[in-house]
Amino acid sequence: MDGHDRLLAAFLAGDLDRAAAREWDEHLLECEQCWRAVREDRAGRQAAGLLRQPAPDGLADRVAFAVELAAVGAAAPHLPRRTVRLRRSWLAATGAFAVGLAVTLLVLLVPGGRTGMPASVAAVARYAGTMPPPAHQAGLATGNQAAPVAVGHPVTMTAGGQHITVRTWRLRGTEVVVATSGQPFPMPPGAQGTSGGGMAWVARAGKLSLYCVNGRTSELVAAPVPAAELAALAARLPLA
Amino acid sequence: MGGDHRAFLDATMPYVDVVYQVARHAAGAGQDPEDLVQETYLRAFAAFGSYRGENTRAWLAAICLNTARSEARRRRRRPWEIPAQALLDALPMDRADEARDVADVVIAGLDARAVARYLAELPEPQRLSIVLMDVAGYTAREAAEVLGCPRGTVLARVHRGRRKLAQLLAAAGVSNGRP
Repeated sequence: MDGHDRLLAAFLAGDLDRAAAREWDEHLLECEQCWRAVREDRAGRQAAGLLRQPAPDGLADRVAFAVELAAVGAAAPHLPRRTVRLRRSWLAATGAFAVGLAVTLLVLLVPGGRTGMPASVAAVARYAGTMPPPAHQAGLATGNQAAPVAVGHPVTMTAGGQHITVRTWRLRGTEVVVATSGQPFPMPPGAQGTSGGGMAWVARAGKLSLYCVNGRTSELVAAPVPAAELAALAARLPLA
Repeated sequence: MGGDHRAFLDATMPYVDVVYQVARHAAGAGQDPEDLVQETYLRAFAAFGSYRGENTRAWLAAICLNTARSEARRRRRRPWEIPAQALLDALPMDRADEARDVADVVIAGLDARAVARYLAELPEPQRLSIVLMDVAGYTAREAAEVLGCPRGTVLARVHRGRRKLAQLLAAAGVSNGRP
């Protein structure tokens, strides 16, 4: 690009002072070559402008959620878990939170978490660990047959090479996470099989109880309730 | 770091849309622009504690480009390769109604997919300058900060790139979405 073209670029950018700009205005009336350059510049700018496209719905929420998780991951080694709960309420409240949200970040966060726990199970446990404590503990196993209410939208993540869809349900004041995967969730150390061949198992992870049922798909239920109550909760959920 | 994430989100979330504009054209083959935006924000968050810059959106764009570069290296592919089909599929089929005031220029009626195709043919410095300024809406000064070159250089690259893009489109006879 020669000096003439640089001056033209500066003119088009509005960089020239008033006198110089007036000279260019007059020059463009006379010079067909420069006038063509101006028209091409304008056409190119308009063409490029066609490529603007708004960010997809839910991208901002996905990004914010990933950052929240990263913050949790950074804080978790130093703080009690209850102090690093995610603010899930805003996530549940936002209508833009896209179905199928991909939070592959969890894969990165999980390894430092629960020693010896399979990555996919640890990812679900970490996610479930962000839930608020139950509003009340009594009467979960028996009595009232209130229907579960979906909280927010499903979240998808990949952990340990396992693709997982996580849904959250609220049932009588308790939030329960149900993770579904096409691959079986591996039994963590200390888990107890409740049926032959590892078709179902229960385990504890901190304050969480985990209950896994393997069928056509593998479903891992997690909630901050005693293990004895989890099966009763799971029975009321629309598992596959 | 955990305590900073609110401040980070407050400072950076207004720019998700412009970062997405950059990511769509910086993502390499097989790389999802939305993943690139997310990775950009995670890297930015990791560095936020030491960030002392004044222009957050320029900082984010620079991280986005570097992240795309890293990913391209990781995949051992040519950096800045436009994700041909993925990008074209993501573009609107016909936005000729937005191409106003083109009667007096070379091109009448434009197909965004054709624009993307020919934009991809421009040399990288021109292409990135156009993406930053004309697509994502960065100022020349911001683009210069992102690309690490003088503002005048960015203006020159944008000017050359726009002209070349217009010439390519005109030569191809792009009109009303039908090249």
